[in-house]
Amino acid sequence: MSSQRRIDWAIYAGFVILIMLVPLVMDPFWLNRIAKYLVFGMLGIAVALSWGYAGILNLGQGLFFGAGAYMLAMSLKLASATSLQQGSDRPVPDFMLWNAEPGAKTELCCITKASFLWLPFQSQWFGFAMGLILPVLMAVVVGLIVFRKRISGVFVSIIMLALVLLVRLVMIDAQPVTNGFNGLTDLGWFKIGDFEFDPYIVPTYYLIAGSLSVVLLAARLLIDTRAGVILQAVRNDENRARYLGFDVPAYQTFFFAVSAAIAGFAGMLYVIVSEFASPTFMDLSFSITMVVWAAVGGRASILGACIGAIAINMISATVSETEGFAEAWKAIIGLIFVLVVLYLPRGIAGLAHDLIDRVVARKTPRASPVLRVHDATSQLAE
Amino acid sequence: MAQAALTIDGLGVDFEGFKAVNGVSLIIEEGELRVLLGANGAGKTTLMDLISGKTKSTEGRVFLHDTNITNWEEHRIARAGIGRKFQIPSVFKELTVRRNLEVASCKNPGVFANLGFGFPAKAKVDEVLELIGLADEANRVAAYLSHGQTQWLELGLLITQDPKIILLDEPTAGMTQAETHKTSLIVNNLRGRHTIIVVEHDMAFVREIAERITVLHLGQVLAEGSVTDIETNPKVKEAYLGSKGIS
Ligand SMILES: Nc1ncnc2c1ncn2[C@@H]1O[C@H](COP(=O)(O)OP(=O)(O)OP(=O)(O)O)[C@@H](O)[C@H]1O
Ligand SMILES: [Mg+2]
Repeated sequence: MSSQRRIDWAIYAGFVILIMLVPLVMDPFWLNRIAKYLVFGMLGIAVALSWGYAGILNLGQGLFFGAGAYMLAMSLKLASATSLQQGSDRPVPDFMLWNAEPGAKTELCCITKASFLWLPFQSQWFGFAMGLILPVLMAVVVGLIVFRKRISGVFVSIIMLALVLLVRLVMIDAQPVTNGFNGLTDLGWFKIGDFEFDPYIVPTYYLIAGSLSVVLLAARLLIDTRAGVILQAVRNDENRARYLGFDVPAYQTFFFAVSAAIAGFAGMLYVIVSEFASPTFMDLSFSITMVVWAAVGGRASILGACIGAIAINMISATVSETEGFAEAWKAIIGLIFVLVVLYLPRGIAGLAHDLIDRVVARKTPRASPVLRVHDATSQLAE
Repeated sequence: MAQAALTIDGLGVDFEGFKAVNGVSLIIEEGELRVLLGANGAGKTTLMDLISGKTKSTEGRVFLHDTNITNWEEHRIARAGIGRKFQIPSVFKELTVRRNLEVASCKNPGVFANLGFGFPAKAKVDEVLELIGLADEANRVAAYLSHGQTQWLELGLLITQDPKIILLDEPTAGMTQAETHKTSLIVNNLRGRHTIIVVEHDMAFVREIAERITVLHLGQVLAEGSVTDIETNPKVKEAYLGSKGIS
């Protein structure tokens, strides 16, 4: 292993140890907050994989996050005490009861037109599995269509953006099944065996921190595989890769789907710590915010994007408590984003890499995924 | 007689009325090195596009040995055994020279087959690094290579990929005389191991490598023969009149 790689892994290990130590110094309120930021860190990883490594700027990552969130939230909603009103032993979400036609049968199967969709979600693990399967399925379908058709660059961004807005509209519109823009609230706690993950206890924090660590290391390993290297080659020059025999859309779709799975998983974890799911997860602004986190942290670095997300959220939380500073902070974030894009295309992680490189004083420049250089000549290569 | 490696039968493409390649038929034998000549716009690159799947033909067929590969997707044609070098060199700019070759060395191109670590073909990669003269640059990022080195790296990608047929589109474009000579050495080295089709304008280079030449003109085959046949062919002379001549 080169010294550069050894330092890389040491930094990853340091990060994991650091987040594991947080409960020693934080009270439950802050612990819950930090857990949410760790979830955002996981979203940063998802964005870095698809944008930084696959070269796909997804402006609708919230779609996958939201899908994951809703799938688990449906299960947790049914597990909530609020779904067992009027002494029934068969759960029915409270909002369905409120909206039910007079005289409708108060059963999950048929209380509203599509309420039967909720039936399998009585099993928490069904909801959990769907929280991964649904985002992956959506990503594969979109990926196969979009990448096979060689739609690229900004058009993919726009397609995803349109898609997340469309789904958000549908979710709000399908009020009888989704509770519209109120989203799903008053959720039960996530359970493993008999253990209940109250969002304000230390084990819940460790559930999140542990999940993040696993995802972080797995993503890092993934990009070190041959497939990860080939993916970077594809991002550099799709055509060259194609004429070497690689099925380019398959690579793009695979990594797009992995990114979707991570975002879906993050969505579920977010539901566990925040106890709600809402269409705001699919707001355009949220998807764009994720991109900002990754850009600032360094989209070409899995850990950089992750730390970018956590750091920006922590600073935001601290700063916005100062009266009157909240709005200004948004402007500052916007400014930081512009500056990073202009002067630090590889984000803070890129800067850190360069500094480490200088310290290690390597003779040759190292391969690092940088901005997808729109080199017209190579793109149009005959 | 040697076997046909590539059989092109009445191949053509119609770009909304303009036939850039028009009914070209060629048989390239196993192990042959064929040079394609032709003035600018004669359809040489387009012919390579048709063979390699970049452009879909509107008439005719292409056979690789006995397999009809007409209008297959590019990556399937590549896997079937046709490698290609582009007129404008294209390599993986952000990867090191070695990484570039490792990617090309990957025998199983599927995603799931490549979820492991490490590229096994180290010996092959080292050999190619020597052959293309980039052993000292192995750990450099490809973006920092000179133009000539980039061309050689792309040749190296092809050699590592090890296809049955190699299509080279102007491999010496933009090279100095010394670089051109080195390229001819590399290409000569491949002779016999691969079937090669080269598009080239540089007659000095052509003389160094060529056995048989096919001349394209306005999308059609104008003449075919040895270097001297072609240089003395009156039809070729006429076609080149107005341009700077074949010299
Ligand atoms: N996609 C396309 N649509 C329309 N016309 C095209 C297309 N591709 C190529 N052509 C035309 O076909 C003709 C042949 O082009 P081609 O690039 O094959 O020539 P060439 O022999 O490679 O020339 P050069 O020596 O300049 O590289 C040119 O007139 C070109 O403008
Ligand atoms: Mg050409």
